[in-house]
Formats: sequence, C-alpha cells, structure tokens
Amino acid sequence: MKNNVKRNLVIVLAVFLLGFWLFPYLYLISSAFKPGQEVFSTPVKFFPKKLSLESFSTMFERMPFFKYIFNSLSAALLSTFIAVFLGALSAYAIARATGKKLTMLLLVIVLMMKMIPISSIAVPIYEIVMDLGIYDTRLALVIVYAALNIPFVIWMMISFYSSIPISIDEAAAIDGASNFATFRKVILPIVMPGISSAAIFTLFLSLNDFLIALLLTSVEAKTFTVAISEFVNSYNYDLGPMMAGAFLYTFPIILISLFAQKYIVSGMTSGSIK
Amino acid sequence: MRLVSRKTLLLFFLPGAIFMAMFLIYPIVKMAMDSFFEFDIYTNEKLFIGFDNYIKAFTDESFLIPLKNTLIYVVVAVTFETIIGMALALVLVQDFPGSKLVRSLMLAPLMVAPLISGLTWRLMFNSNFGIINQILRNLGILQGTDTITWLADKKLALSAAIVADIWLTVPFMMLMFLAGLQSIDESMLEAAKLDGANFFQSLFYIKFPAIMPVILTAISIRMIDAARTFDIIYVMVDEQVTVISTVIYKTLVRYNHTGYASAMAMIFILFFVIFTLVFLQDMWRPSKGGK
Repeated sequence: MKNNVKRNLVIVLAVFLLGFWLFPYLYLISSAFKPGQEVFSTPVKFFPKKLSLESFSTMFERMPFFKYIFNSLSAALLSTFIAVFLGALSAYAIARATGKKLTMLLLVIVLMMKMIPISSIAVPIYEIVMDLGIYDTRLALVIVYAALNIPFVIWMMISFYSSIPISIDEAAAIDGASNFATFRKVILPIVMPGISSAAIFTLFLSLNDFLIALLLTSVEAKTFTVAISEFVNSYNYDLGPMMAGAFLYTFPIILISLFAQKYIVSGMTSGSIK
Repeated sequence: MRLVSRKTLLLFFLPGAIFMAMFLIYPIVKMAMDSFFEFDIYTNEKLFIGFDNYIKAFTDESFLIPLKNTLIYVVVAVTFETIIGMALALVLVQDFPGSKLVRSLMLAPLMVAPLISGLTWRLMFNSNFGIINQILRNLGILQGTDTITWLADKKLALSAAIVADIWLTVPFMMLMFLAGLQSIDESMLEAAKLDGANFFQSLFYIKFPAIMPVILTAISIRMIDAARTFDIIYVMVDEQVTVISTVIYKTLVRYNHTGYASAMAMIFILFFVIFTLVFLQDMWRPSKGGK
C-alpha cells in the first residue's frame, strides 16, 4: 500500500519535471503556430488563440528554405561518410600499431584534437579555405566538417577495435586473406555497431553546426542554421517565422533521434562510461 | 612475425592522418607563427613583434573581460547542471510504468541545435513580449507594466545565456548520472536499508562514492564544452557579453586582427591541452581507472 503511494508520487513528480523541462521547446512549437501578430502581443499567452500557418508561409517567402536545407544535409551526409571511412581505417591502424607507447601517443594526440575548440582554429581554417579558393562552397563545408570529425570517429572506434582479440586478424591472415580483405570481411562486420554510432553522431554534430558555416559561407553554400539566425539581427525581428523554421528543422531530428537515441547517446558518452 | 604488416597499417593510417594534418595540425602551427606578427589591416603585410600579442592579451580588457565571463559561465553553468542533473537522475532512476519513455523524452533538448536553443531563449527572455517576464508578472513578482530587460543588461544577459546552456545540457548530466546509478549493486543499497540507513545516508555514503568517477568525468567533459561555447552567446547576447570563443571570432572576422586573434586562440588551445592532460587521464590512460 505504502509502496503504491510512493510509486504514484514518483510518476507525478517525473511527469511534472518532464513538462517543466520541455516547456521551452513546447513554447517554440506554440510560437511557430501563432498568427504573425500574436507573437508580439501582450499579455503573452502560451497557447495560440487560433492555429495559423502564417509564420510558415512568411518563412518560406523570406528564404529559399529547401536550398539551405539541401546545403545543410548534403554537407553533413558527405562529410560524415568521409570522416567515418577515413577515421575507421586510421583507428584500426592505431589500435593495431606495434608498441603500446606509440598507440598511447597517437591516442593522446587524437584526444587533444577532439578537445580543441573550433573557434580557436577558425582563424587559419578560414585562411586555408580562402587560399584554396573554395570559400562559400559546399565542398569547403564537407572537407572541414570531415577533418574536424575524424578525431572523434577515431576516438570512438578505437575502443571497439581494442575489444577484438588480435588472434582473429591472424586467423584470417593464415587462411590466406589479404590485409584489406581481413579488415573488410572479418573486422568490419564485428565493429558495425560502433560504425553506426560514430556515423549517426557525426551526422548530428554537422547538422547542428553553426560556427563553421557562419565562417565559411555567405550566399551560395549558406546552411540552414546560419540562415535562421539572420531572422533576428539589427535589420530584422521576425520571431514567428524564425520559430517556424526552427520547428521544421528540429522536429524531424528529435523524432528520428528518439529511435536512434541509443547511438547518439553512446556518442555523447563515449570514452567516459564503458 | 606480425601478420598485420606495418606497411598495411601505415596505409590504413595515412589518409585520415593527412586530413587531420591539413586541417587541424597545420592550422595550429600556422597560428602559432602568426601569433608573433602584426598584420597590416589594409596591405596584410606582416611585422614581427615577438610576444607583444600575448602581452596584450594578458594586460588588455579585450581579452581579460571575455576570460572572466568564460570562467563565470563555466563555473555557474556546470555547478547548476551537476546539481539539477543529479536531482533528475535520482527521480528518473526509479522504475515505473512509462519510465523509459520519460527518460527518452527528457533527452530531447540534447538534440536541439545550440543555436536554436539560443534563439528560443532569446524570444522567451524578450523584455516586452517574452514569456518569462509574463510568468513573473502572473506570479506577482513583477508589478503592472514593469519589465526586466534580461538581454540588455550585462550581468542579466550572462545569466540568461547560462540558463539556455543549462536547459540544453542538463539532460546530458542526467544521462551520465543515470548510467552510473543504474550500475550500482542493488544488494549494497538493500543491506544499507536493513541497517537502517535513511535516504540521505545511502545517498552520501553509498551512491555518491560509488559513482564519483562518473561524476568527475561528466563535470570535466561539461567544463570543456562550456568553455568552448559559441552559438548561444553569439545569437543571444552578442552585444552585451563576450566570451573567449566569440572574441576570437570577432577579432578575426570583424576587425581583421589576425595576429592578435591567433595569440588569443593559442592561449585558449594551450589551456585545453593542459586541462586534457591533467584532468582527463582516465580517458587516455585506461590503466589508471576509467574502465
């Protein structure tokens, strides 16, 4: 009896905390569906007086939504592919390197590169992109996202490789498989869960990037995050359309991530809890 | 004889390494060199000035104020995130019908881009038609037409940005602590209960010590992330508050002082390298603990 009461209290508390914590996001949604003027009206109400798609149509008028989404998506997908491909190969080499000292040294270097704040290497990256003549192209975004995410992929993958006994590599080699065939047919299938985690998390990081795109694009390759930030600046104050865009961008990501949560979570906590 | 040949390993290693060398290591080396020069804004000619950029950073408000703001941001945000994250984890660690769903939904803010979190909170903190002032008015804390100009006041603006950061990342802390709490051996808690330990005793004498490594790792990871923050500050309170990330960006992009921006960035990077080596030993030296 007493246990039942306690359990119900926990449920009520948990649901209350959930509602409290999700309030800002619910407010984002409700603001997106308010008629244009209501966002600026006082007293402020949480619920829209009537549901309206006005902010959405204004948002579509104000910017080439699909172009920016395409820029964000294509840069994120391509860079993820490159980062995971190259990172998974490098990580295998580091995990199997001769000598513990060498592995350790490479590991520390990778960890440091993973920790470096992007804003601090913004200066030279900007100059390199200028020198290569690829400023404001999707190619620049793809290359830079890929490079920045490789240390992350390596970091995640190494622990997966290390858990595979080297005798498996050796058995395959004795059976006459070439080194690359060993990797592709024997090792890769074993670490596939790790690859998926790394890929999904990398994709997610690139999609949510703002700083790199702000620095390296202006018109043609502008990504959605940069475009949406421009709804509120010295010249504009279009809160409704901004929230409509924010909703369209984040809602699918949240929905998808509910299903892929396992992978994203293991990306976030990688190296901390095993 | 090794069956995985050195040549193959090198072949596997090189493509990724070249990428990192080009876009991570080369930039840092280039920046280290640039930091000893002054660049003419118009002609881009370089003039060697030794450590002047570094001396300027440590004596000039243009770096010291952002440094102070960053420190406040990190300490306040991470303190609150740890406390709130722990409280939520202690509630949600209990199993009840639907507990899995609640845990999953609680992680939603983690999936929102930091930029969009900043934009949303900017709307909520708006002094005229923001919902925060409205709530304060409904609660009777604000009278009549009084408003708090959250984003226009330097001190309040920093707090507002910290609130956005807390909202965004408490779920991460909760997640880490949940994983830790779930791994505690149930029989220890049962035994303590039989011996008459109350809630706080089992919290402070069993749970906290058991998950201390997780707590410390979570705090270190969050401190690094909070120190790197850019998006939230940039879109919410750029005119009022600068942190190190935003001042490096602005010194470069708006004022074109490449040398000075490089010096500030070098100091910033050095700090992260030292922090990683000192505080994250468990991560790169698994023998010392971790696993």
